[in-house]
Parts: sequence; C-alpha cells; structure tokens
Amino acid sequence: MAVAAIAMLAACGKKGAESADHGTDAAPGAETSAVEVAAAEEPAKPADLIVRPPKDPFPSTYEPYPSKATLITGATVLTGTGERIENGAVLIVDGKISAVGPAASVSAPEGATQIDAKGKYVTPGIIDIHSHLGVYPSPSTESTSDGNEAVSPNTAQVWAEHSVWPQDAGFTRALAGGITSLQILPGSANLFGGRSVILKNVPSRTVQGMKFPGAPYGLKMACGENPKRVYGLTGGPSTRMANFSGYRAAWIEAAAYKKKWEDYWADAEKFYADEKNDSDKKGDEEKKPPEPPTRDLKLETLAGALNGDIIVNMHCYRADEMVQVLDMAKEFGYKVATFHHAVEAYKIADYLAKNNVCAAMWADWWGFKLEAYDGVRENISLVDAQPNSCAIVHSDSEVGIQRLNQEAAKAMADGAHIGHKATEEHAIEWLTSNPAKAMGIADKTGSLEPGKMADVVIWNRTPFSVYALAEKVYIDGALMFDRDDPKRSPRTDFEIGQPGNGFTGGAGQ
Amino acid sequence: MNGASTMKKFLLAGAALAIGALSSAAALAQPAASQTILIQNARLITSGPQGVIENGDVLLRDGVIAGVGVDLAAPEGANVIDAAGRTITAGFIAPFSQLGIEEISLDREANDASPDPGFPLSAALDSLDAYNPTSSVIAVERAGGITRALISPQAGDKLFAGKAAVIDLSGRVASVTKANAAQLAMAGYSGAARSGDTRMGAWAMLREYLSEAASYAANPRDYLLRKREDRFFISDLEALGPVVAGREPLIISANSAADIRNVIRLKSDYSLNVIILGGSEAWRVARELAAANIPVILDAMQNLPTQFEDLGSTMANAARLQAAGVTIAFFNDGGTPHNMRLLPQYAGNAVAHGLPYDAAIAALTINPAKMFGVDAKLGSVEIGKAGDIVVWDGDPLEVTTRPVAVFIDGRAMSMENRQTKLRDRYKDLSKGDLPFAYRGEE
Repeated sequence: MAVAAIAMLAACGKKGAESADHGTDAAPGAETSAVEVAAAEEPAKPADLIVRPPKDPFPSTYEPYPSKATLITGATVLTGTGERIENGAVLIVDGKISAVGPAASVSAPEGATQIDAKGKYVTPGIIDIHSHLGVYPSPSTESTSDGNEAVSPNTAQVWAEHSVWPQDAGFTRALAGGITSLQILPGSANLFGGRSVILKNVPSRTVQGMKFPGAPYGLKMACGENPKRVYGLTGGPSTRMANFSGYRAAWIEAAAYKKKWEDYWADAEKFYADEKNDSDKKGDEEKKPPEPPTRDLKLETLAGALNGDIIVNMHCYRADEMVQVLDMAKEFGYKVATFHHAVEAYKIADYLAKNNVCAAMWADWWGFKLEAYDGVRENISLVDAQPNSCAIVHSDSEVGIQRLNQEAAKAMADGAHIGHKATEEHAIEWLTSNPAKAMGIADKTGSLEPGKMADVVIWNRTPFSVYALAEKVYIDGALMFDRDDPKRSPRTDFEIGQPGNGFTGGAGQ
Repeated sequence: MNGASTMKKFLLAGAALAIGALSSAAALAQPAASQTILIQNARLITSGPQGVIENGDVLLRDGVIAGVGVDLAAPEGANVIDAAGRTITAGFIAPFSQLGIEEISLDREANDASPDPGFPLSAALDSLDAYNPTSSVIAVERAGGITRALISPQAGDKLFAGKAAVIDLSGRVASVTKANAAQLAMAGYSGAARSGDTRMGAWAMLREYLSEAASYAANPRDYLLRKREDRFFISDLEALGPVVAGREPLIISANSAADIRNVIRLKSDYSLNVIILGGSEAWRVARELAAANIPVILDAMQNLPTQFEDLGSTMANAARLQAAGVTIAFFNDGGTPHNMRLLPQYAGNAVAHGLPYDAAIAALTINPAKMFGVDAKLGSVEIGKAGDIVVWDGDPLEVTTRPVAVFIDGRAMSMENRQTKLRDRYKDLSKGDLPFAYRGEE
C-alpha cells in the first residue's frame, strides 16, 4: 500500500521533462506534463518539443497544517478496513497514521499529546462522494448558483472547481459532522455536466488550497429525468432515447479526438527520433515537425474518461437505465465507477456487483420525482449484501453531509430487519473506504492504516446513533475541529461579524 | 391475570429477531376488527401528566384509550399483547405537511400542493379538496410512527396558501380529524418574493388582506354592496374570517428575528392566533415569543445561512426556544411528505444539541396537538384520548429504531406499504421460473 501511494504521488508530482516517460499512451487530460514546452536555454530535448495538454493547470496548493504527535487511546476503533478494535489506540505522527492496534500495543513517542478516548469511537474521516458545497453554497442566491451550466446538454468542458466558493459555510458544518474529504460535482441538468473536483475539507482562501493533492478528476454525467426536463423545450434531449444518442455521439467524437492526439504523439515521437538519427547527415532538406491538434476542453475531458484518467460518476435512478449505461460503457470501452443516487440499485444489485460498479445512495430519500418513486429503506443494505459489492452512503445535500453517520445507521438498521446484519465496523466502510476507492484516493485516505493521511474523527459515542457528535476532527493529523474549543471551529468570511452568528458555537452548532 | 382462556395472546418478538418482529406485527394487524386490546409490559412515555410509566399497560377499547397504568386487568375477550418492555408513545403528529396532496413532488399530475403562478385564488383553497387518503405516501409514513398530520397547501404566487386540515394516517375515507385547522401565510423572504420583492410589500399586503377579511366578516352584505378593491376574491376573504376572528390558527412562514417581531406585532394588532413556521432565528426572539404565546414549528437541522434571513441559524434553536418557554414542534423538508417518518431523527438531533428528551417527545406529540386545538383528543397516552399508539423496538428518537406496531383510533395498522412490497419482491435476485413482476403479492 505504502509503495503504491509513493508511486502515485511521484507520478502526480512529475513535471516537465520527466513527462516523456508517459510516452504515446498518454492521452489528452492524462498524467502530468505541461504545454510548458521547455523555454529552452539548453538545447531542447525532442520530448520537450512534443505538445501535451497540461494535466494539472490549477494545481493543489494544500499543505497539511501543523500537527503534533497524538496518541488516542481507549476508544472503540473502527478502522475502515472492516476491523473493530475495542480499547484501541491510534497514533498520529507527522500527519500520518503511524500505528493502529490494541491500546496496550501502541506507545506514545516522547512529547506526544495523549487523548483518553475511553467510551468514545474513533473512525477514519468521513468522505462524501457527492456534494455540491461551494457550487451551490449558502447563502443560496442567484449570485451564488454556480452548479449547473444548464445551457447545453453537453458541458463536459466546465470544471466544478471554477465555481467552488471556498467561503461556503456548508464546509464548516460538514467538518463538524466529521467530513474530511469530499467530491464536488457539477449538477445533473446535463448529459455531461463537467469535471468534478476532490477536496480536503480544510478552510482556505482559494479552492487550490483545498484540492486533494494527487486526486484524480471525475466526470459528472446524468441519466433520465433531469436532462430531458431541462432541454425538452429547447432542442432536446426531450426523451430518454435522445439522452442515450447524446451520450453516444459525444463518445464517438471523443474517441476520434483521442486518436488524433495519439496519432500526433506517435508521429512526433517518430519525427524527433528520425531527426536525431538524421542529424549527422548534412544537406538534407528541412522536415517540418507534425502539427499538434487544436485543444478542445470538452473533448479533452471526455477523452480522459475514455482512457481511464478521469473517473466517471453517473447520476442515475432507474435500474433499467443503469444497466443500459453499463452496456454503453462496454461499447466505448470506458468504466463507470459509481452510479449516484441509484434509488433502484436494489433491483439490479447483482449487475452492479458483477460489473464492479459502486452505488452511492441515500438511506431513505424517495418520491420527489417519478424516477425516485421506488425507493426502499433497504436499498443500501441490499446492494451491500451482494458479494464484491461497493455500497456508498452519499449526501447530495448541505444538510445530509453533516450526518452521513446517521444515514449509515438507518441503512444498517433497515438491513438488519430483513436479515442483512451489517456490523458497525463493516457499515463504516460505506462512508470511508468505499467512497475513497470509488474516488481514486483509497491509497491515501479512507481507512486507519499506517502510512495513510491522518484523517481521523473522535465521536462521543458510536457514530451509528442520532446522539453521536464528532468531538474532534483531524485532517492530515491537524486538529481542525474541536467541539470543546471555539478556537478550533472555523467561521467563513461570509458569517463572521454577522448579527446572531456570534452567539452560536461556530460551525453552526 | 384472569380470563386467560378467553384471551388471544400475542407476543412482540425479541428485538434482535427482525423477522419475528415483522410477523408479530402481522399478527397484530389481525385483531383489527376487535374492539379491545391490552398492551402490557411497556415503557410508556405518555406525554401526559403520568409522565413515563415503567412496566406499564395501555388498554384500547372502542377506538380510545380506556386505561393507562400498571397491571391493568384484561377485560373479557381482550386481545392481550406483551410489549416485552418496549417503548410506547402516543402516535407522532406531523405539524406541517403535504401528505395526501403530493404523491410525487416533480410530477404535475401527482402533485396538488400548490397552484401555478397567476392562479387567482389563495386562502380559499382547501387541502381537503385534493386530499387522497389512499396516497401511497401515507402508509409509508405511518410505518414510521406518524399517526396524524396537518396537511396544508403550499403558497402559489399569493401570500396565502389555503386551508389546512388535520388527518389521520389510517388511509380510511373517513380520516379527516379536523377541517379548517389552520391557514398558511408567507412572510419573510417567501412573502417578499410574492409581494413586489420587498418585505414592505409583504407586510402591507398581509395587513390589507386581514383588514379586508375583518371588514367582510363584520358585515358581508354591506361589504358586497360597497365599492371595493377588485384584487380580493370574496372566497379568499371568507376563508380568512375564522382567522381574523382568532378562532383558526394562522401559520406564518418567517425566519429572521426582524420578521418574527413583525409577526408578534401582527398578532397583537389583529388578535390572531399565530404559529411561526421556520423560525430559524426564533431563538433570538425567544422571550418575546414566549410572552406572546406564539408556538414555533421549526426545522431542527436548519443550521446554515441558507438565505440572509437565516444568518443566526443554529442547532441550538430548539433547545433555546424550549428553555424560554416557547411551544415547539418539528417539520422537515419544507413539508414535502415523503420523509415525515424522519421527524424522530430531527427531534433526536435537537436532543443531541441540548433539548431535554421529554421536551423532544412533547414536540412530536402533545405540542402539535395543542397548536391545532386537537389536544383534547390527541397527543398523549391518556384515558379518553384517541387510541393512537406506537410500539417502538428501541428509543423512539434513535435512528436505528423502528415501530413494530402502530395503532390509530385503537386499530392495529398494517405495517406494509409499496416500499416493503418492492423490497420483498427484489430482496432475492436469483432467477425464478417467472419474471419479478410475478413476485411479492402472496
């Protein structure tokens, strides 16, 4: 695991010249590299002359906040890997999980802060795979409504991070609910809504200061009612069949675009290789290097999804539509990582498990539209009951994100009533390691394992309770929220100094 | 206990045995026709003067609660149910909802909760004209322990929404508890948005409506003969008659402390019986509200500055209002009916943020009954009140707790609904001899 993490970080940290390692397999929107064609003071290496669209033009500037070595002992530890340790210990050193085990087996290093958490629970930081914080922030006004570029059914070119308002008070409330990482998605008005962004839930002046270092991008797509409702009177899609023709036409275009770049890279590699071989010969006429294709932001994102660099998040309610989407993914050779909302996932839980697709669900939302009419309280549990399943509890709500633990508790109880008994140590995976896996960050967070980011929550009791409160929330080992210390409770610029707000306990408590 | 030979005994299965609990609930459904049910050995949270009774019994007879206490004797022929120490509460009451008038929110034909913009009438609209007691939503919410609800229209583009009613969740045709139980009006930004986009417009318009209604009520014939503003419909003014007479509660949607102070003034100026809906900053005006005897129906999870009128939102709202002596109840999702069954979760979160436990139970039972003047019949486990009882498999406010039995007017209700049937149809996905469409109706 640690090795994989290092490899991934290294890959993402690469810049400039090293990007040549990615060779011709890299597609637009792929790993590293910049257009920064070497501002050649030294003679340019051939690889530097090959144009590659920048992979990360708005790079994360997040750095963990200072942390102290901290030993938390005596708590029930749910590791996020399915393990439960009674009277356990979690040791945080240098912002990473350093040790996890029975309290007797872990000792505090010199000078470490020791926290007696007897009677409490410790879990990994909670992860919400589906949030619109920042893009639909509080206050909700016309000025801040930035989540749906509802002008065309395909807006794959937009990036959610360019709408995220870091001063959304919702981030602070989510922090008080134990959220340490979250994916911000564009809305579901469009067939292709745009790119998502994965954030660490740390207040920052800039969105770059929140971006999860090394996290992959996601693509938001939407099935069913929403796209056809939005465009039904303005040129379509106005039907579900047009939804599908819209997706497929776009994938065909994206595949052609991807190939154009791959052909260019192959030609360019060959050209510079030939040029090098020919450089000794004199008198040859000058050959012109191949011209790179023109960049297209929309197709760049779609091509990234086709080659697997960008993770596909599909908003879909109905069972029959989800299965059709799986066929479409096979047709174009891409992978759907997660169906979001998936209110009817229980009807096709076997298909989802067989195709290795996650379902991100609510515990009990239903009925707000016809495609959500068949909701059942056992949805999460029935998806989870399949072998090799990947059930995720998500919020899609600035209210729900504050209590994903309670959503999981409800799902657990309803499953138990029909004989699918999930333990707490298993159910916690629905909101920690499973979303981490689906978001491509499981090598870094989502469980309490040595080497991972110390994203940790101390709860005043079992989190599977309506009375549970996150007491302390650590992000990369730094104590970012402490219910007992107003100085460890963030307030946004928008809220500070407002009447009434000064009397609340910070973070809306 | 005597009369054992004539009693049919039903045991509520152990909490751990989920299947057992379901089948015992089915057993409970059978004696529905029977008029006398004795539930024994329960932890009774009465919401009444008797407080909490450990190892208590409840006797339901002829639709009402006929006995509450310890070791009640079983009348001849009674069905005796052993609650095995489980908790019993009065049926929970949702104080604001669109139950039975909104089957699916985003489906025009399946949602009658509010008129389109431009539709002329407002206060005259009656929720009962659209009420469908067989809405599938009702059985879903009932299985979550909700036994009664206020059903209210939502406002179109006018300030008044229409007439609300109290109904029970039995699904019977005769399920209307009280017609004309309340009227709903928009203030705050909801009012401003319907009044030239300014709060000045909303308050001026509200006063004008109320004055016209009072004028009409004072002498209808004279009013009709007089030259008058044509923007008022007589049927709307007629509907507001009981409101300006102070007989019918006026629910006013308002959130900011400033708007709430205006509500307090309005109540005093027009001698209204008002209830605040929303009240995200109500805690800032808690003492004035208590002094003016104005209850608040609040969303216990409103802790964000959703709009500028919600800047003071806090999870402590419920606790602070209660501490100041304000009568509170809870609503969620703005009243959309699909998850009223989560009201106990809302109450539980209020408890986690300082609301005393018994006050949270009261907010789900006796408080809403008082707000709508039905507390003589509903809202507590007391002799003479309607037999609305819920047996829970744990702490009723806990998210992992579910009802095992629900009684309305002394009758055991079915715990089945569209959701349980869909679940049963698909809980085993192995291929059968026939398609899934043949499953689940045994």
